[in-house]
Amino acid sequence: MDRILIVEDDPETAEAVAQEVRALGCEPVWLATLDEGVAASSQDFRVIVLDRMLPGGDGVEAMARIRAGGSRAMILVLSALGRAAQRVEGLEKGADDYLPKPFEPEELRARLRALLRRGTIEVLDNDLLAFGDLEIRLKARTVHVRRAHVAVSPKEFELITYFARNAGQVVTRMQLLENVWKLHFDPGTNVVDVHVGRLRRKLEEAGSAAIQTARGEGYVFAPLKAG
Amino acid sequence: MSENRPLAARATLRLALMMAAAVAALSLMAMALQYRLVETRMTEAARATLTADLGGYAALYEQRRIIALRQAIEYRAAAPSGAEMLLLLDRRGNVLAGTEAQWPAGLTAQGAGFTVDPAEEFTQGGTRWLAVARELPGGFPLLVARSLAPVDATLASLRRGMAALGLALLLAGAGVGWLAARSVMRRIGRLNALADRVAGGELSARLPGPRRHDEFGLLETHVHGMLDRIENLNRATHRLSDTIAHELRTPLNRLMQKLGRIEGQEDTVDALRGEIRQSIRVFDSLLDISRAEADQGSGGGLVPVDLSEVAQEVWELYEPMAEDKGLLVQADVAPGLRVLGDRNLIAQMLSNLIDNAIKYCGPGDSLRLTLTEGADRHLMQVADTGPGLPEDLRAEAFDRFTRAERDRGIKGHGLGLALVRAIAARHGAKLEMPAAEKGFVLDIGWPKLAP
Repeated sequence: MDRILIVEDDPETAEAVAQEVRALGCEPVWLATLDEGVAASSQDFRVIVLDRMLPGGDGVEAMARIRAGGSRAMILVLSALGRAAQRVEGLEKGADDYLPKPFEPEELRARLRALLRRGTIEVLDNDLLAFGDLEIRLKARTVHVRRAHVAVSPKEFELITYFARNAGQVVTRMQLLENVWKLHFDPGTNVVDVHVGRLRRKLEEAGSAAIQTARGEGYVFAPLKAG
Repeated sequence: MSENRPLAARATLRLALMMAAAVAALSLMAMALQYRLVETRMTEAARATLTADLGGYAALYEQRRIIALRQAIEYRAAAPSGAEMLLLLDRRGNVLAGTEAQWPAGLTAQGAGFTVDPAEEFTQGGTRWLAVARELPGGFPLLVARSLAPVDATLASLRRGMAALGLALLLAGAGVGWLAARSVMRRIGRLNALADRVAGGELSARLPGPRRHDEFGLLETHVHGMLDRIENLNRATHRLSDTIAHELRTPLNRLMQKLGRIEGQEDTVDALRGEIRQSIRVFDSLLDISRAEADQGSGGGLVPVDLSEVAQEVWELYEPMAEDKGLLVQADVAPGLRVLGDRNLIAQMLSNLIDNAIKYCGPGDSLRLTLTEGADRHLMQVADTGPGLPEDLRAEAFDRFTRAERDRGIKGHGLGLALVRAIAARHGAKLEMPAAEKGFVLDIGWPKLAP
C-alpha cells in the first residue's frame, strides 16, 4: 500500500487530508511538527503533504532538507499562505504542487491523484497518445478522431494534452488554470469552462465524448469509457 | 528629485535676495543719516562765513556809509575768488561796485540790516548761492552771497560714494545670502530626497553619514525615528495579515471539510460551498490589495516580464467568453513590450478589467484591448461600450467596496478596481480614465523596462 506523509499541525485538517488519502487507497501517516516530518521523510513515501506555518518553521524552507535526506516523494504544499506570489515561490523552491487553504476535498483528491500518477508514468517518450480512436500527436500538435483531423487552437491543444496525461481522473478548473494557463489566481468567473466547452464540442462533432463533467468537481477525460 | 531642483533654487534665490536687500537697506539708512548730518553742518558753515562777511561790511558801513562799502566791495571784486558774490547799486539801479553786472533775476531785497536772517538761496550759472539781499537806507540795494558749490560738490561725491557702497553691499549681501541659503537648502534638499524615496515606497531609506549637532541634525534624527516607527508598523501589518490569513482560513477550512461529510443534501452543500468560496475570494482580494500596496515601489520581487505576452494570454483566456456573450471583441497588442513586473499580478489585473467589461456589457457592445509603445511608457488601454461608470462614482471608483447602486444585481464585491489600482501602483504604472462618450475606458501607462 502506498504511504502518504501528512505534516500538518491542525488535527482537523490532518484528518480531512487523511480521509482523502484513504479514499485513494493509500495509507496516511500524520506528523504535527516540521522536525518530525523532515526526520520521517526519508522513509518510503509516495507523496508528502506539507503545511507551511508549522511548529518548527516553514515547510517550504524545509523542502531542501527533505530532498537532502534522500526523499524522492512528490511534495504537495497545503497552506493558508495561498497568494499567487507565495504559490509561485513554493513551486520555484521545489514543490510539485501547491494548494491554498481552505481547500475543497475534491480539489485535494484530484491533486493527490495527479501526483500519484505523475510518480509512475512520468516519461512519455512516444510521440503518440492514443485512446481508442482518439489520437494526439505531440510533435505535430494534431488531434484526430476516427482518423479525421480535428482543428484545435494552440491553447486547446495544450488543454487536451493535459487532459490526456490525467486521463480517467477528475481534473479541476483550478488545476487547468494553473497548469495550462500558468495562472495562480482565482478569476472568479468560470472562464475555463468556456474553453473546455469549445474543445468538448469540437470533439463531440468529430464523434468523441471524451470530456465529461464531474459534478461540482471539474472534468474527466475518459475517451475509452465513453467509447 | 529633478522636479524639485528649480523649486529649491527659487527658494534659495528668494532667501539670498531678501538677505541682501535687508543688509543694503539698513546700510543705506545709516548712510542717509550721515548725509543729512554732513549737509546740515556744511550749510551752517556757509552761513557762518556769510555772517562774518556781513559783520565786516556792517563795521565799514558804520564808519563811512556807502562810500566805505563801495570801496571795500571794489577792492574785493578786483580779485574775485568765485566763492562770493557782491553787488552794491545806487537808488536808480546802477551798479556802484560788485562782482556782477546786474542784480540777479528773481531776487528781491528784504530789510535794511546787516544780520544774516533772512537769507535765501538762489541758483545762478549752475551754482547755488546763499544770499543776503538788503536795501540800505537811502535806497541802495546790497547783495552779499556765498557760493554753495563746495557744499554741493562734497554732497555729490558723498552720494556717489553711497551709491557705489550700496551696490557693493547689495552684491555682497546677495553673495553671502546665497552661500548661507545654499547650505541650508542643501540640507533641506537631503531631507526632501529622503522623503521622496520613502514616499516612493522605499521605507528602509535613511540618510547616510554623521549628523551635526544642530537643528538640522535634530530634524534628521526625528525623521529617522519616524521612519523606523513606520517601518516597524508596516512589518507588523505584514505579519498581522499573514496571521489573519492563517487564523481565519483554519476555521473556514474546517467548515469546508465538515460540509464534505454531509450526505444527501447536495444542493445545500453546494450553495454553502459557494458562499464560503465567495468569502474567501473577498478575503483574498483584500490581502492581495494590501500586499500590493505595501510592496508598492519597493521593486522587490519584480522581474522582467513580456507584457505583450501576458496581455495576449489573458485576452485569449477571456475572448471566447466575451464572444459567447455576443460582444464585439478586438485586440491590438504590439509584440515584445517588456516591463519589470510580476506576471501573475499583471494577469490578475487584466483579468479583473476584462472580466468586469464582460460582466457589465451586453450583446452588441464592443470590447477592445490595445497595447502600444508610447514615447516614455507602454500604453495599455481597455475600452468597452458598456454602461460605463456613473458620473458620481468616477472619483472613488478605485476605492475598496465601491459599487454603483444600479449594479446591486450583478455579482461582485467592489474590490476589482481597487485591486487594479493597487497592482498598477505596485508596478509604478499610471492609471487614467479618459472621458469616453460611452462605456468604460481605462489607460494604463507602464514604465518601460530599460533594455
